[in-house]
Amino acid sequence: MSTCTVLLVDDEAEFIDTLGKRLARRGLEVHLAHSGQEALDVVAAQELDVVVLDVKMPGMDGIEALQKIKALKPDLEVLMLTAHANVEVAMRGMELGAFDYLMKPVELDELLYKIQDANKKKCLIA
Amino acid sequence: MFTRLKTIFSSLLGGDGRGQGLSDEDILAEFRKRYHNFRLLLTANKKTLGIMSEMEQALRGQFVFGMSFVRSQATAASVNVFRIVKHLSEIAPGKYDSLFERLKDIQAQIAAVLDRQPHSEATELTLPLEAVGRETSDQVGSKMANLGDIMTRVGLPVPPGFAITSLAYYRFMNDTGLQDEINRLIQVVGSDDQAKLLPLCSQIQQMIVSAELPQSVADAITSAYKDLEAKTMPAVHVSMRSSALGEDALGQSFAGQFRSVLGVSPEDLLIAYKEIVASKYSPQAVTYRLAKGIPSEDVAMCVGCMAMIHARSGGVAYSRNPLSIRDDEVYIHSAWGLAKTVVDGAVSSDLFVVRRGDPPALVESHISLKDRLFVCDPVAGVCRNEEAGPLAGQPSLTDEEALELGRIAIALDKAYGEPLDIEWAMDESRRIFLLQCRPLQQMEAGRAERPESQFGKPLMSGGVTGSPGIAAGKVHPVRRDMDMLTFPEGGVLLCSEALPRWATLLGKASAVVSERGSSAGHLANVAREFGVPAIMGLTNAVAALSDKGVVTVDADGLGIYAGRVEALLALAPPRDTDQALHSPMHAILREVLDHIAPLSMLDPTAQEFAPENCKTLHDITRFCHEKSVVEMFRFGQDFHFSKRASKQLKYRVPMKWFFVNLDDGFVSDVKGKYVTMEQIACDPVHALWEGFVAVPWKGPPPVDAAGFMHIVAHSTVNRNIAHVDDEYAQGNYFMISNHYMCLSSRFGYHFCTVEALVDERENENYVSFQFKGGAAELDRRMRRARFVAEVLENYSFQVEMQGDEMRAMYAKGPMDVMLDRLRVVGYLLMHTRQIDMVMTNDALVNHYRQRFATEIGDILRESGEKHMSQVMREMA
Repeated sequence: MSTCTVLLVDDEAEFIDTLGKRLARRGLEVHLAHSGQEALDVVAAQELDVVVLDVKMPGMDGIEALQKIKALKPDLEVLMLTAHANVEVAMRGMELGAFDYLMKPVELDELLYKIQDANKKKCLIA
Repeated sequence: MFTRLKTIFSSLLGGDGRGQGLSDEDILAEFRKRYHNFRLLLTANKKTLGIMSEMEQALRGQFVFGMSFVRSQATAASVNVFRIVKHLSEIAPGKYDSLFERLKDIQAQIAAVLDRQPHSEATELTLPLEAVGRETSDQVGSKMANLGDIMTRVGLPVPPGFAITSLAYYRFMNDTGLQDEINRLIQVVGSDDQAKLLPLCSQIQQMIVSAELPQSVADAITSAYKDLEAKTMPAVHVSMRSSALGEDALGQSFAGQFRSVLGVSPEDLLIAYKEIVASKYSPQAVTYRLAKGIPSEDVAMCVGCMAMIHARSGGVAYSRNPLSIRDDEVYIHSAWGLAKTVVDGAVSSDLFVVRRGDPPALVESHISLKDRLFVCDPVAGVCRNEEAGPLAGQPSLTDEEALELGRIAIALDKAYGEPLDIEWAMDESRRIFLLQCRPLQQMEAGRAERPESQFGKPLMSGGVTGSPGIAAGKVHPVRRDMDMLTFPEGGVLLCSEALPRWATLLGKASAVVSERGSSAGHLANVAREFGVPAIMGLTNAVAALSDKGVVTVDADGLGIYAGRVEALLALAPPRDTDQALHSPMHAILREVLDHIAPLSMLDPTAQEFAPENCKTLHDITRFCHEKSVVEMFRFGQDFHFSKRASKQLKYRVPMKWFFVNLDDGFVSDVKGKYVTMEQIACDPVHALWEGFVAVPWKGPPPVDAAGFMHIVAHSTVNRNIAHVDDEYAQGNYFMISNHYMCLSSRFGYHFCTVEALVDERENENYVSFQFKGGAAELDRRMRRARFVAEVLENYSFQVEMQGDEMRAMYAKGPMDVMLDRLRVVGYLLMHTRQIDMVMTNDALVNHYRQRFATEIGDILRESGEKHMSQVMREMA
């Protein structure tokens, strides 16, 4: 399987540290960001395949970050991964072009499949 | 073949594919993109159906769930249906965009149900007890409302005090963002197992206790306390009790679920308030709400604050016998010290029985050994357990005092017109005060006399019935919180003290045996609500029973027997399990599901099969699935693209089986019009085919030489098809890749689909089979659908029925298991033709049932053997 570069964005450092390690063990190249702003910096500086983005973060929230990421790189796929189960917020994210809206806790395999699916799509458009 | 449709499609694209000067590579790239979207659509489709079926299971009461389940399932369903629509719009650009609008409308309706926040009726943050009555129960909770009412309307003594309202609660929880944070934690951690529940609850409770109260709330409490001081004495100590909103609704007593704090000094008022609010998230309260289906949001924690009574003795009075609906005598439980001594089940209590009459009479009194008591020091405010000393064996009430309590209970029962559970205290000057009063649920069952040795010799006998019934299970002694973590499903809870916190185990326990406590304690109360048999006050039970393994607890006959005594268990009344199905939580889920699950779009050939008629998420899902298949199938034709055009299967003769290769479904490029089975490189199709041809069809009616030409859907001699002008409406249409197949088959009004994904991602594998229709009248068609469903269920398919439509799904599993499921479906496709005609003949149905079982068994055995010998060959 070709390498896939992902950016994990969540203000819960412990959560993405662990998740990042587990994904790296499965062969992904992982970058971490702890806020929306930090994420935008990485997106601008790095070639990425998929962003995994939390919704509720202090400062810039996930929806705003999604909007800015899509403005910066329209083809970059963004997966929302959140503990915030809210139909309206989820729909807003989907309308803004999120690839999917997943709810914590998510099984590692399921997340991995989603990342693969999102990645394949991006390759197709390119 | 598709001329009419092609015209429509081409005009949408602005001309025919070739006309736009697209090269074969362009078309192939275009096809790949659509195929990718098609695949994602299918994943989302399967996910959506899975979510819906899980929600329906929850509704049928197959597991307990809370608001976070409803919210996250509804969100996930919405997201996946959005994806389905989006992928369809990529497959057929611009054609179905109106679906986005429909989806938005439906989602708004779902969101409206979920966002219906309970709001406070209260306009004040606190209310003095004199201003509280039954009409204010939605501001202060029914517990305080009742007390206010007793004081002002009935005119019986209640300690002076005030209530902190639901408005204060909502300000504290919502305005500070606490509630959002709590919901988030519950969703992430999940509250479904004890090991996770305990740390989760402690984290949430700490969060609440350490949060800052809004200034307005703190000020209001302080000021209400100053007024209370003015009415009583400076620095008066108070008791603070939960008075949750919705507590008494639907017979939910919430007995002992929340905290009470006694002997609170003025400087501790605010912290005690927060502790009580936090007790909404105690493990026993959370488990209780889950089991009873009460949404957390519906419980607003109001708090009652009353001047402390320095109790000489205290306890509980039932205005009628809680354990027998036919007994109207007053039962008074009493112990030394505060009423808490009785309520917490820490000691056995004295029991006085007062018979109604003119005048009422004391007819029974049982004096127990009350070796401990609970007191609060009037000056220091410290509350503690003490040895009772010489008082232990003496009655805690005089006969006259017991009679007086009896008269009070009868008066209250009369005033409210219902049985009541009354907590009382008597101070040193022997004045009686009422501390709490709530409706009492009486039970049907009563005491049973067991003739001696009818069920053998019991291991132990005695105690009192805390909750009636008979049950068996493995004894599990519970001494500390640690023991709760290891408590097994169906265990017998064995404890020394009947502590309220053991109530969190009652969802799991089959029975309760406690050395202390009485039927008046919280644990017994909750056991009755859960229908768990309980024996209380059985001295030395812990030592005698701890190592006895499985026992049968007879709470009616007050005996405990070794092992499972089936003859005794057979006497137990059936447990009422559907009570939870009418809970508020279920009502919310049902309302949400109304916008999600019902399927009205059944017939794809009907005029009504259109985006504007989609009423639910399921309708949209169904519509999109149907259209995506059609659109994918047309692609090759519309683009005059032979590589992706359909090929007709040749098996001896050309058959009405058409294949479109989505990706890698053929072993090589297939030239010309026909394809053979050998050229197909799709495992699921081969498995389906094996099942299909394994056993020749024996009729009825007898099949002719060209039997196989009869396509699957041609199973019925359907004479009422008149207007089938679309050729796509007749035949079996396969879309395949190496690991995936989708079969749509129809003949006029009869249609069926088989879809399967079988590859290395075991978790994503599935086989789904749906069919509807037939030639016979509806009743027979329904019988056949049920018959087929029954066969599929024998092979562990999940089956849902709606009229003559059947939907079966088998999800997750290794490849060989999935392929076997396809063989079963293949067999059914061949052999269920026309059996709708004989469905009313029971003997024939039975005959078919047996034949199917034998023949399918043979097919699977054969394929299993083939598989094994192949594995052996590979290993050799």
